[in-house]
Amino acid sequence: MAIITLPYKYLERLTRTDKKTILDKVALIGSDVERVEEDHADVEFFPDRPDLFSPEGVARAMRGYLGIETGLPTYPVKPSGISFTIDPKLANIRPVLGSAVIRGVTFDDESIQSIMSLQESLHWAVGRGRSKVAIGIHDLDTVKPPFHYIASPRSRKFVPLDYTEEMTMDEILEKHPKGRDYAKIVKDFPFFPLIFDRDDHVLSFPPIINGERTRVTIDTKNILLDTTGTDKRAVSVAVNIICTAMAEAGAKIESVEIGGMQTPTLAPAERTVSVAECSRLLGIDLTAATMASLLQKMRFGAKAAGADKVKVQVPCYRADIMHDWDLFEDVAIAYGYDRIQDLPPETSTVGKPHPVQITAALAREAFCGLGYLEVMPFTLTNEDVLYGKMQREEKKGVLHVMHPISIENTVVRTDLLPLLLEFLTLNRHRELPQRLFTVGDVVDSCHTHQQAAGVSMHPDVDFSEAYASADAVLHELSIDYTVKESIDPAFIEGRRGDILVAGKTVGVFGEIHPAVLNAFELEHNVAAFEFDLRAVPGYPAL
Amino acid sequence: MAELTQNEKRLLTTLEKEKKADAPHLASLLGATPEAVVQWAHLAQDKGFATVERITSKEFVYTDEGKAYAKNGLPETQLLRIILPGTQLADLQKHDVFKIGFGQLRKKGLIKFEGTTVAKIPETSTDADEAALKNPSAADARTKEFIKRGILQECETVRNVIGITPEGLALAKKGLDLREETGTLTREQILSGAWKTANLRRYDVTKLPKKAYPGKIHPYQRIIAEMREILLEMGFEELYGGIVQQCYWNFDALFQPQDHPAREMQDTFYLKETLPLPKGYEKVKAMHESGGETSSTGWGGVWKEEKAEQCVLRTHTTSVSIQHLANNPNPPVKAFCIGRVYRRETIDTTHLAEFEQLEGVVMDEGVTFGNLLGILREFYNRMGFLGVRFKPSYYPYTEPSLDAEVYIEGIGWMEMGGAGVFREEVTAPLGINYPVLAWGLGVSRIAMLRLGLKDLRYLHRSDVAFLRETPSLRYTKGGV
Repeated sequence: MAIITLPYKYLERLTRTDKKTILDKVALIGSDVERVEEDHADVEFFPDRPDLFSPEGVARAMRGYLGIETGLPTYPVKPSGISFTIDPKLANIRPVLGSAVIRGVTFDDESIQSIMSLQESLHWAVGRGRSKVAIGIHDLDTVKPPFHYIASPRSRKFVPLDYTEEMTMDEILEKHPKGRDYAKIVKDFPFFPLIFDRDDHVLSFPPIINGERTRVTIDTKNILLDTTGTDKRAVSVAVNIICTAMAEAGAKIESVEIGGMQTPTLAPAERTVSVAECSRLLGIDLTAATMASLLQKMRFGAKAAGADKVKVQVPCYRADIMHDWDLFEDVAIAYGYDRIQDLPPETSTVGKPHPVQITAALAREAFCGLGYLEVMPFTLTNEDVLYGKMQREEKKGVLHVMHPISIENTVVRTDLLPLLLEFLTLNRHRELPQRLFTVGDVVDSCHTHQQAAGVSMHPDVDFSEAYASADAVLHELSIDYTVKESIDPAFIEGRRGDILVAGKTVGVFGEIHPAVLNAFELEHNVAAFEFDLRAVPGYPAL
Repeated sequence: MAELTQNEKRLLTTLEKEKKADAPHLASLLGATPEAVVQWAHLAQDKGFATVERITSKEFVYTDEGKAYAKNGLPETQLLRIILPGTQLADLQKHDVFKIGFGQLRKKGLIKFEGTTVAKIPETSTDADEAALKNPSAADARTKEFIKRGILQECETVRNVIGITPEGLALAKKGLDLREETGTLTREQILSGAWKTANLRRYDVTKLPKKAYPGKIHPYQRIIAEMREILLEMGFEELYGGIVQQCYWNFDALFQPQDHPAREMQDTFYLKETLPLPKGYEKVKAMHESGGETSSTGWGGVWKEEKAEQCVLRTHTTSVSIQHLANNPNPPVKAFCIGRVYRRETIDTTHLAEFEQLEGVVMDEGVTFGNLLGILREFYNRMGFLGVRFKPSYYPYTEPSLDAEVYIEGIGWMEMGGAGVFREEVTAPLGINYPVLAWGLGVSRIAMLRLGLKDLRYLHRSDVAFLRETPSLRYTKGGV
């Protein structure tokens, strides 16, 4: 999640109102205020709104929401006369380049920090950890155009940021902290992306690291932006967000020529939307004029075009507007969620419980009647609990998660009984008798079904208790079963039975084997049973 | 007034005459052991009718060795008696107490050697020691010495002197029913009519009973059941689905881009299993790549079949409800699902890798975002949360999106769940032509609040004592 630091003084100057008004309302445009400090607030914005990842962007939105300045913000762009060439060999490596010149910036330590943090947030939200988009910011006055974006031999040397010695690009991946962090994005390519100037001075090795030469300092007046990536739309959004944020801070934006095109234009996109459709979706009555003014409050350009249409200009920094409904959400936000009449729909339906849950509830009732206490163990467990301690063979249908968090949680349960025994271990110090049961999901390969299991532990436990309890629960669930001697190694030989329905084994009961008790560190005899709820008549085939 | 047992009554009746007596004496009168009498006396004392005075005293008794010395004199005395002028050491050595006696004589300085002759030192004797042995006393240093020498032993004796209080005396004077008591009524007594004359023992109702623990469902299950009932009452159909889902249903059908961070290995439990894509998946593919036939632009890029085929442990129950909607595209649909979902989180007190999620959907002609707010308000009100408010939020597959917050006394506004209208990019490729209102909430968050838990793990690795002690009916006020 992107948590943005908003320094009050700067925010108040840009928004042209006091911080209290801003903080009171900022959640209503879609955010969570995380911390309110003496001189700044930390606010979390959602990943679909990277245009709010800077104080400048937040101020722009709040001026609209508070009615201080509404409608489409416009950003004039002059050509800079600067151009880039792109090496066709980059087509399969990192083909997309965006750029811009930002003039007349005034930096101090705080505002440099602010732009760096915007850059990092964009790397996260839009750039997918720099793989899709990576942004480089350079002091334009340290290099000379034209610039060249090429697929370079990996042996090319330059001084990377924060270093004083030249290194080859391969060495940077190996030794530079940023190189190590992001090496995986480029390491398999025969050539590496590189940007350099007329005099062969290196600006950057995207998406890894800039050159030390173009480092931005508080003396920097003019900036050159390089934005590279694999997705045209994402690259362009990143450029637009940075340029418009810097323009809000007072800088002038100039375009750059890339492949014969001037970029960026910072021009809005256009969409014509239906007022009736919006009213229908939100459940509020709107006219074209109200809808247009609500959209203007959200910083869109909007004009009624007849009774049912509104012509909308979408600012270039709004990456999230993919569909008409995205605009309708902004209408709802501007209108105020609290003003929308909240009435349940008139849709008439009758409630209907699921047969699996009906069966599960009846099984629980039967166990409770026998004095068993329900427990709800985790479904993630490990092979040792499920099979090792139980002296059982690993089941074919067991599912191993590919990247377990710990050795305790490597598989999804295929049985419930081992988890109940684990529970008894956990509660060794508690008063006996302990009679525990659980009803819940288990997997067999990709299929899920429900099973039920019970255990009883006390000094006088015997085989007949296991048999009688299993019989009672099975009877309550109308399971017509027969029994034959079992060979389940988790139970004592001669004190174990398989539960059969129509010739198929659906469960087991008996006295737990002392070696299993030892493995679970239990001191008393345990009577236990488990069965598959698919044996219940009427259990649906899923 | 607390009830007296039969035995306490007998004791008081005896004490009415005896007034005050030692336990053994009373025991012989009552035909019981002194220990039993003391126990009855204590019970009667608790009720204010008797007194029990515990008198302890110290006593010195002779050991077997000491008994012999008390009779024959201490070993040193015995030796002294045979020391005559000219007695040789060898003569003494013949005596059976020589070893002990000789040592004592030298230690006490009662003899001296003249060559091989042993002689008494004049003006000395063991008279005082002998006197001390006859009358041991704690104040006498010699007694301690005798204990050390194993001649005497110190014993503590306890006497219980039992008396009667004026209240007890008054009660006994009134006369107490001394007939034999019946504890458990027998079948014979009931059938024969003997119960009519039986003296049924009265029990003390102020004493706590021995604990009995009923079998019952888990407190967490009870909260799930409560939510389930509310939704069934509100006309929703319950859904049930597998915990293993294809990425297609868990992510792609919900318009989650294939490079979305939530789909990464560090957030989701992937399985090596794959399943073939369902019919009509091409429409989902087209939606991702270009927006299909809607006003959407899609995500762009190339949508890969193999990414959608892979199986995961479902990250939300939306994977179940979206399949239900795809299979039932005709309105109306009102459905919900409560089930376990999985996130690859590091487990701590407030985060689990698996937890219950509740999810509901409504699909019908003409349902609105306002209706969604209405359903949420109704649901939370029925759960007991009377203050409900909504604020903008973001979920990849809904638009508009919101978060619902409820007001909790002592805590304030607390986020409870997310909701929104399914994007057209979700519904259109599945042939759903009407708006779908959807909402979800974490069931465990409410459970944690209601049950006052500090650690979420406690729901799944519970202390049996906690389960036994948590009552089935928990009176809730304001939802918690």
